[in-house]
Amino acid sequence: MSASQSAVRSRAEAVKVSRTFDWLILFTLFFVVLGGYHIHYMLTGGDWDFWTDWKDRRLWVTVAPIVSITFPAAVQACLWWRYRLPFGAVVCVLGLLLGEWINRYLNFWGWTYFPVNFCFPSNLMPGAIVLDVVLMMTGSMTATAVIGGMAWGLLFYPGNWPIIAPLHVPVEYNGMMMTLADLQGYHYVRTGTPEYIRMVEKGTLRTFGKDVAPVSAFFSAFVSILIYFLWHFFGQWFAKTDFVKAA
Amino acid sequence: MKLIKDKVAKLSFVALLATVSAAMLYTPTASAHGEKSQAAFMRMRTIHWFDLNWSKEEVAVNDTMTISGKFFVFSGWPETVDKPEISFLNIGIPGPVFIRAGSWIGGQLVPRSVSLELGETYDFKVLLKARRPGDWHVHTMLNVKGGGPIIGPGKWVTITGSMGDFVNNITTLTGETINLETYNLENIYFWHAFWYALGLAWLFYWVRKPMFIPRSIAVEAGKADSLITATDKKVAMGFAAGTIAIVAISMGNTNEQFPVTTPLQAGLLRGIKSIEMPATSVNVKVEDATYRVPGRAMQMTLTITNNGDSAVRLGEFNTAGVRFLDSSVAQDETGYPDDLLAEEGLTVSDNSPLAPGQSRTVQVTASDAAWEVYRLADLIYDPDSRFAGLLFFYDEAGNRQLITIDAPLIPTFI
Ligand SMILES: [Cu+2]
Repeated sequence: MSASQSAVRSRAEAVKVSRTFDWLILFTLFFVVLGGYHIHYMLTGGDWDFWTDWKDRRLWVTVAPIVSITFPAAVQACLWWRYRLPFGAVVCVLGLLLGEWINRYLNFWGWTYFPVNFCFPSNLMPGAIVLDVVLMMTGSMTATAVIGGMAWGLLFYPGNWPIIAPLHVPVEYNGMMMTLADLQGYHYVRTGTPEYIRMVEKGTLRTFGKDVAPVSAFFSAFVSILIYFLWHFFGQWFAKTDFVKAA
Repeated sequence: MKLIKDKVAKLSFVALLATVSAAMLYTPTASAHGEKSQAAFMRMRTIHWFDLNWSKEEVAVNDTMTISGKFFVFSGWPETVDKPEISFLNIGIPGPVFIRAGSWIGGQLVPRSVSLELGETYDFKVLLKARRPGDWHVHTMLNVKGGGPIIGPGKWVTITGSMGDFVNNITTLTGETINLETYNLENIYFWHAFWYALGLAWLFYWVRKPMFIPRSIAVEAGKADSLITATDKKVAMGFAAGTIAIVAISMGNTNEQFPVTTPLQAGLLRGIKSIEMPATSVNVKVEDATYRVPGRAMQMTLTITNNGDSAVRLGEFNTAGVRFLDSSVAQDETGYPDDLLAEEGLTVSDNSPLAPGQSRTVQVTASDAAWEVYRLADLIYDPDSRFAGLLFFYDEAGNRQLITIDAPLIPTFI
């Protein structure tokens, strides 16, 4: 077939081909993002996301949003500026959560027998939806970083609280008070995760008394804004067509 | 050309699969079978476990067993390993086949990390509740921050029954009794499914319409603004407002349903009580020590002085959990693991009772296949070729004394 001949012969066929491309691209995007984002989140958020006895009011609340706003920012940059498609953050989180659930269910529970109520992933969906909507409504990277990044950080703890609160009910155990989450960490033996590597409830926010979660969330939100900018630029750079044109 | 394209396509598909599965295949460390690969000096010169007892060899699901004993935090702790100032009494099992129902050092519950001191002896107990049937090697274990896991002796324990019968009932301070094995599961699944569905709904709203090629053409033609309609904006605002409202309402409901919650408990436990060991009256000087590679035997020349008031005999040499006994003086009645027990592995050139006030130089040989099996002989390849261990002396009344030795070891290859 010579290059001058088109692969499609009618408008209907063109539409059909274009739609096939849509599904191919979306499918590939979903799994590439799933793989990349999942590895990134495991390396940076790791144990904070794996175990309930790491999901505290200070470090988990601070670390998880900061390290997880990365891929959503980059994928948004690509999908929005090139296609005006406002689902970059949601598609990332859908991929991440699918990967996490498969991993937690098959490996943590199915292979190693850690109960699912001890090793379920954190919920990032509320922040992702708001992040996408803000980008769509404002069409501005700056506004999305500031308003969306802020929402991303602030919605994280309340978005997860209904899921983890039951595990923060206190229990008296052999003369010590602990939460059910602490007890899970004690009961379900992890030989590779001794208690001292657990980074929870550490920090210098003591002056705020018992309301540390909102303070941590605000701090996390501010850093999320900065990280959003950075990764949005990464995304834009990767989405450039310069690479293809040269060929 | 086509061939190359196909290859590239195939390779990228493989790469895609690899990235997707790399993270998904991650499994937390489940095995604790590293005892033999741990450097010999780590096992000989850090924590000396002794008087160990595994209360059962077979246990049914939901039943409990204990591992108890003592450990001596060696005074000649190697410089290359961080001191056990922050350490955690763990248990070496392949994942949660048992749950750790309790663990104590010196009578104090130790769910968190503790600070231990060199030269002290501690007694410990770990209470395990059987969860998953199978044959498991159950090791004592102490994690030391900056030093890694220090794995002690292991014994095979069989769990019988069915994991489906396992329950882990706990009564909370709010007066409820729950089964921690399944507690909160429905709630977790519900909220994750709910938010996932909402995310999918948002995605479906956009993928209904043609996506990449037509939209890209429109953007490049400068008609980007036409791609977001007024309806889109209304739907989007609905999603955002709904999300925030659901988060706020569900948070409020949760706080109403669980008015009493506490933060995670953390922090180092200090002031762990050690055992007051009886004063020793036997004095041991290591004149020399050699390891004979072909004979799998360690030979020491010891000068033993008895400053007490009862005659003593050497009954046992214990190093890295391997026990060499002189059966005429001491026998094991605790069911100590066979592979770690050399019931007649200790030979003393003259082991007649050493009278009070007397001194004697003897040849002591500790020989057993365990040197090889447990790779203790690898000690001679360590940068600091020293060995250490515990000697147990028995007096006429059967009282036991524990003496620590620590000396250079010279290998002989002929
Ligand atoms: Cu083992």
